[in-house]
Amino acid sequence: MGTVMTHRVFGEYAEECLAAVCEEVRHLEGLLSRFLPESEISRINRSAGIKSEPVSFSTYQVLAKAVEFSRNCPGCFDVTIAPLVALWHIARETLAQPPESAIRQTLPLVDYRALVLDPGQMTAGLRHAGQSIDLGGIGKGYAGDRILEVFKQFGVLSAYSNLGGNVVTFGARPDGTPWRVGIQHPRRQDSLIGSVSVAGHTVVTSGDYQRCYTDRQGKNRHHILNPATGYPAESGLVSVSIVSQNSLAADALSTTLFVAGMEKGLESLKKFPHTEAIFVDAGLRVYITQGLRYRFHADRGIGVTVLD
Amino acid sequence: MIGWIIALIVVVMLGIAGSIGWSKLSKEHQEARNLPLDAVDFNKLDDGTYQGAYEGGMYKWRANECQVTVANGKVTDIQLTASVDPGAEKTGYQTLYDRVIQAQSLQVDTVSGATLTSKAYLQAVENALLQAQQG
Repeated sequence: MGTVMTHRVFGEYAEECLAAVCEEVRHLEGLLSRFLPESEISRINRSAGIKSEPVSFSTYQVLAKAVEFSRNCPGCFDVTIAPLVALWHIARETLAQPPESAIRQTLPLVDYRALVLDPGQMTAGLRHAGQSIDLGGIGKGYAGDRILEVFKQFGVLSAYSNLGGNVVTFGARPDGTPWRVGIQHPRRQDSLIGSVSVAGHTVVTSGDYQRCYTDRQGKNRHHILNPATGYPAESGLVSVSIVSQNSLAADALSTTLFVAGMEKGLESLKKFPHTEAIFVDAGLRVYITQGLRYRFHADRGIGVTVLD
Repeated sequence: MIGWIIALIVVVMLGIAGSIGWSKLSKEHQEARNLPLDAVDFNKLDDGTYQGAYEGGMYKWRANECQVTVANGKVTDIQLTASVDPGAEKTGYQTLYDRVIQAQSLQVDTVSGATLTSKAYLQAVENALLQAQQG
């Protein structure tokens, strides 16, 4: 996954469970990574515009969810964003920004509606040549849900996994108190903006400080692209965290809400009950949804507004 | 018939008494809800043991006293020393105190949104240096 994972597991078979968790993650990476040429996603990408490819149940499941979340907020989240990501990746190497014409040409390729899923045949395919899938905003979330399944299978009592910043908790801490998950401060590397107390929830954060660079014009360019404009999202937010019982949903929604901005994001959040959000705006003001009122603890000097 | 009228009167009286009682109660609740808590600057605490008291609102139902210990600039202990509430044990004040103690340092189990990669690299370097020290 190209990220660091940390796990903490309590239970009789904790050690065996950890081995199984690592195996599961490796297995999923083998299916879903677009950086591994033999993965199912890479095969779909190579066959874009030519044919559909048979896929495993896992791949099918995550693609179906990805389409669902792309449909949930069109223009905020799109699973076929890879061609744009590639464009910005090249730009990043030279600290430039992609030529406008290149972005204009690439934008029509970003269209989740051209991802064809056939549940009968268990195949997936992209209609147009040049299209490709990037599970960046959802793959880790899916892995989190699968890890929870492994915890269950091994009769784990209490655990958490941190998959490159996505925190999945299973039950409470061994002493029965909730896990305390820190929320990274978007501007100070060794600081937190606050923490949330959770048990059995996932906490995923999307921020403009992750994988960013400053281009030669002095503009901060981060990795979360707006699929509608082709440029890094500028919604007035610097960080969005989602607290949810579903890890995949938390992952997809943190990206979605980061791009959508606070107002539109809150609107699309309404469709997901028991899903809470923490927004940080450019002035480093923190806004939390009602359900986090007693679960979010701001760090010293951080102002918090509870949203209605 | 007389019996019904008496019953009705009793019900009405109870209703009036109840609504008067309720309005007083809700005033009291309102007061408790709007209780201002001034921000304490946890950065500027002198070591020592301090007593605190709250007189308990309009009916003194919530009167209580506590003792706070500060060591090395941090709140390390809070004890309830007196309370008029006979059910104080059930209010979970201990959990609340624990939260105050924890919150000042924001001790967390793990961090969401941290780009851990750079730290992981540094950790490896540190581990290497530790070995180098022993060698």
